[in-house]
Amino acid sequence: MNESSPRLSLYQLNHLVHNILEQELSTEYWVEAELSECRESRGHCYMELIERDQQGATPIARASAKCWASRWQLLRPHFERATGLHLAPGMKVLLKVGAQFHEAFGFSWIVSDIDPTYTLGDQARRRQEIIRQLKDEGVFDLQRELQLPLFCLNIAVISSQTAAGYGDFAAQLNDSPFAFRTQLFPAVMQGEGVEQSIIAALNHINNDCDAFDCVVIIRGGGATSDMSGFDTLALAENVANFPLPIITGIGHDRDECILDMVSHRRVKTPTAAAAFLIDMAQECMNFLNEAQALIVRQTLQKLSILGAQLNTISTTLPLLAERRITAERHKISITEEKLKASDPKLLLKRGYSITYSQGKIIRDPENLKQGDHIETLFEKGTIQSEII
Amino acid sequence: MKQEEKYEQAFQELQGIVRSMEGDELDIDQMSEQLKRAQVLIKTCKDKLTKADEEIKRILSEE
Repeated sequence: MNESSPRLSLYQLNHLVHNILEQELSTEYWVEAELSECRESRGHCYMELIERDQQGATPIARASAKCWASRWQLLRPHFERATGLHLAPGMKVLLKVGAQFHEAFGFSWIVSDIDPTYTLGDQARRRQEIIRQLKDEGVFDLQRELQLPLFCLNIAVISSQTAAGYGDFAAQLNDSPFAFRTQLFPAVMQGEGVEQSIIAALNHINNDCDAFDCVVIIRGGGATSDMSGFDTLALAENVANFPLPIITGIGHDRDECILDMVSHRRVKTPTAAAAFLIDMAQECMNFLNEAQALIVRQTLQKLSILGAQLNTISTTLPLLAERRITAERHKISITEEKLKASDPKLLLKRGYSITYSQGKIIRDPENLKQGDHIETLFEKGTIQSEII
Repeated sequence: MKQEEKYEQAFQELQGIVRSMEGDELDIDQMSEQLKRAQVLIKTCKDKLTKADEEIKRILSEE
């Protein structure tokens, strides 16, 4: 044993480190790090921080950090309000820390502040990265190229069984006049496991694809607004490639949730999703009602026009016939008059006489010669004569 | 559809009779015969219309 080195108890040794750190690292620093663990206990928040190498695989630095309850109760709501996120493993954070070495508990960074904008920026960058990747794969717009049927009655619902959002949705459809059929495919809708459980539900639906017109993914607003589970590449790919149109209503105010971006249609809430489906059916119903009214109106109109035509014809025809008969009668009487006017008896009555020779009327005496017999017709008889 | 064609046929024949009456194309011998035919056609058409009307009202009341 080297007698030149001082001999201390563990507490004394650790106390030495404590003092040196306190002297040498008295200021606070802002540190960028990734959370590898994060848990709360008795109001305090315990974190494990890491920094990875350029490839992002191997950690090159690692440290524990703590945020004491008195501070954490202020920082947590501030961070969650600003980001809509819970601190969670994998998240990039910017923390204001001071060094502490406790004789009994060892080294730890004590967190006095968290900058939410750094995390927001990191999340946005990650989302942009996922979006770029989806576009490169050519799947980003696939859902919007699908066509919803004129109306959807058979609906596969992905939601958490206990969430109020699903209950409201189903009740709203049931209260409508349409015969909606919904089937729930339960999934975790917040915290850990969102991605895997929604993908599992989609696979389930895919096996019975023909039974449904569309898929609805809904989540009631609730206390949490943690959306990170809906922003993953694997979930986006599964949704984008799904053969049925997917409608999302996952209750949040952010405009850039990737699940919403790749879905066929996004609405704000489960209630809005139900309203959308009901409106579609109602529109179809309105169309049918209008078409029926139009057809009835047109048909009745046509019938009345045809009826009027028939009435006109049945009154005109006798008139035409009568006119025709009158015309014919008139023709006959004119003819009769003409005939009467040319009757030879009328001439005889007026004193004219007609001369025949051999049954022919004589108009020219030159045609007669001496000795011919002629017959002369008067009104009241005939005489025979001989030419001398 | 078939009934509609038949109505159209009857109605066309009827119009033909009206036209020839208007144009004094018929001789008197044919006239009464054509008038009789026209009466038959008018009755056929009216019956069809009444039937169609009743049918439509029945369909509507089934709603």
